[in-house]
Amino acid sequence: MQIKPILAALKRHKAGTVLIALQIALTLAIVCNALIIIRQRTEHLSRPTGMIETDLLTVANRWVGVDEKATPSLGKTDLEALRGMPGVVDATYANSYPLRGGGWSTSVNITPEKKKEMAHTTLYFSDDHALATMGLKLVGGRNFRPDEIDWVDPKAFDTTPVVIVSKALADKLYPDGSALGKVLYHSGATKPSTIIGIVERLQVPWTGTWAGNFAENAILIPRLLTGNFGSYLVRTQPGQLERLTKAAPALLFKTNRMRVIPDERGVRTFAQVREQAYKSDRGMAVLMGVVCAVLLAITAAGIVGLTSFWVGQRRKQIGVRRALGATRHDILSYFLTENLLIGAGGVIVGAVLAIGMNLWLVSHFEMERLSLLYVAAGVVALLLLGQGAVLAPAMKASRVPPVEATRSV
Amino acid sequence: MLKMTHLSKVYRTEVVETYALRDFNIDVKEGEFVAVTGPSGSGKTTFLTIAGLLETFTGGHYHLDGIEVSQLNDNARSKIRNEKIGFIFQAFNLIPDLNVYDNVEVPLRYRGMKAAERKQRIMDALERVGLASRAKHYPAELSGGQQQRVAIARALAGSPRLLLADEPTGNLDTQMARGVMELLEEIHREGATIVMVTHDPELAARAQRNVHIIDGQVVDLSEEPRFHAHNARVADA
Repeated sequence: MQIKPILAALKRHKAGTVLIALQIALTLAIVCNALIIIRQRTEHLSRPTGMIETDLLTVANRWVGVDEKATPSLGKTDLEALRGMPGVVDATYANSYPLRGGGWSTSVNITPEKKKEMAHTTLYFSDDHALATMGLKLVGGRNFRPDEIDWVDPKAFDTTPVVIVSKALADKLYPDGSALGKVLYHSGATKPSTIIGIVERLQVPWTGTWAGNFAENAILIPRLLTGNFGSYLVRTQPGQLERLTKAAPALLFKTNRMRVIPDERGVRTFAQVREQAYKSDRGMAVLMGVVCAVLLAITAAGIVGLTSFWVGQRRKQIGVRRALGATRHDILSYFLTENLLIGAGGVIVGAVLAIGMNLWLVSHFEMERLSLLYVAAGVVALLLLGQGAVLAPAMKASRVPPVEATRSV
Repeated sequence: MLKMTHLSKVYRTEVVETYALRDFNIDVKEGEFVAVTGPSGSGKTTFLTIAGLLETFTGGHYHLDGIEVSQLNDNARSKIRNEKIGFIFQAFNLIPDLNVYDNVEVPLRYRGMKAAERKQRIMDALERVGLASRAKHYPAELSGGQQQRVAIARALAGSPRLLLADEPTGNLDTQMARGVMELLEEIHREGATIVMVTHDPELAARAQRNVHIIDGQVVDLSEEPRFHAHNARVADA
């Protein structure tokens, strides 16, 4: 191997060597952390809500000029009308739903006296049609009965005798898996609620990192909230979604005109809900991807540029080496090895930088810890990129003829 | 050792063919010290580059140490350059980024020689040219004469069968040139075959035999060598 003389030669070209090594180091540090961000965001994007998201329609409703006390009867009329529509499988009314962006959150415990909360959770107020409409999978217990459903003023709400919870919350409260039939206390209530059902998964309405540690903690309350605001969820038969996107709000207006269904985000398929909920995550992932691509391209271009310059500068020297017996392969391997050594220096510094940068991001921006696998993958990727980038100028160098040694510069 | 018969070298462009060498014949015996002279553009350097396998030729035959080289591929030519030929260039052609030791080591590394043997050969070669104490110096820290001595050490370290020198004193002052020439003569006395291209008739006169080239052809050969060559390799001396 020619490592010793290559290192000796590099010592005499410190500026170019250090600049490229630094560029590689910074690229590695930024790309590793950007990849973590991309992974976090794409994990967000693909996180299941627990619902069957196809053929699901949401309609945001706001009563205008209506007495709040009249909203239960108006709501019942709406639901009956929606459920009676051709192409509708079921419909329900709720204060919120997964990915909506707004809703209720509260603390939950298994004893009334315990001050410290065991978990944080969201509350979905809905009825016995919620499971069927949302497409939630019941993995234990039962659904609400119609006689357990009632309307309640949100300001007067305390608790309910029964609740259905998500499995994530059930396991958090009762890690031994015995949650069914047990009680919980939420919203500081002193009366217990018995867990009568557990759904496999039910995501909270928020997608932000602040809700990350209770993203799948949800309680379904068998109460419909009175008041001016609420959302209808409509499950349609396959192929009926597009038609009902127009027909459902039209029917609601036909039933009662004293309402506003906003033009923007008023009527949305769940695919649209998901897309809008994760718009910023998707944007960030794309931005980070572009940053990575640009950085890698700049680094590759830097390596190509520096090596091409060095090949041009050392043309005579290459000719001398060829005259002294170097084969084309020897010259090729000289430049590949030289680049590998610079790259190795760069990735060693870059790995330290990547970890340091990540620790700083973790402490300031709630970012995930950088896995060493990412660093290792980044190191390999950058070394391969370097070798790929240097290949063309190195091959050009290997084609310098030995007679170049006799030519004057 | 070196035999070219009816050798030609043509440089072709779209409109013109230029003969650098034409019907070129030369036979250098083992242990000879041959000076090749001629005016500028006569083909001296072309002869040397072909003799050193730095360039291919267009026609004719060239046998080096009994091997017909025209059919050899690039790798085989590199191997012969590395093992059988030592080059001494007018501009020294040391690698400026490497110190004296590493410069002398270059051809030995390409031979795949083990480190211990390399070290032994390098130090022997540097001792031979009187520069062992400068092993850690860089070329820029040496005088022209010293640089050429390093180049000679580099050529000698590989124990070549043939030394090719292209104006070895061309960039040196008279005193340094004399020193280098004396070194070459000493190396020759120890058995090396040397072919030296030079403009300088005084230096050429110190060689065993003179070959004069004009317009790519050998026009004048000394009939008798002035002393007999030794049939030995440089390193065996």
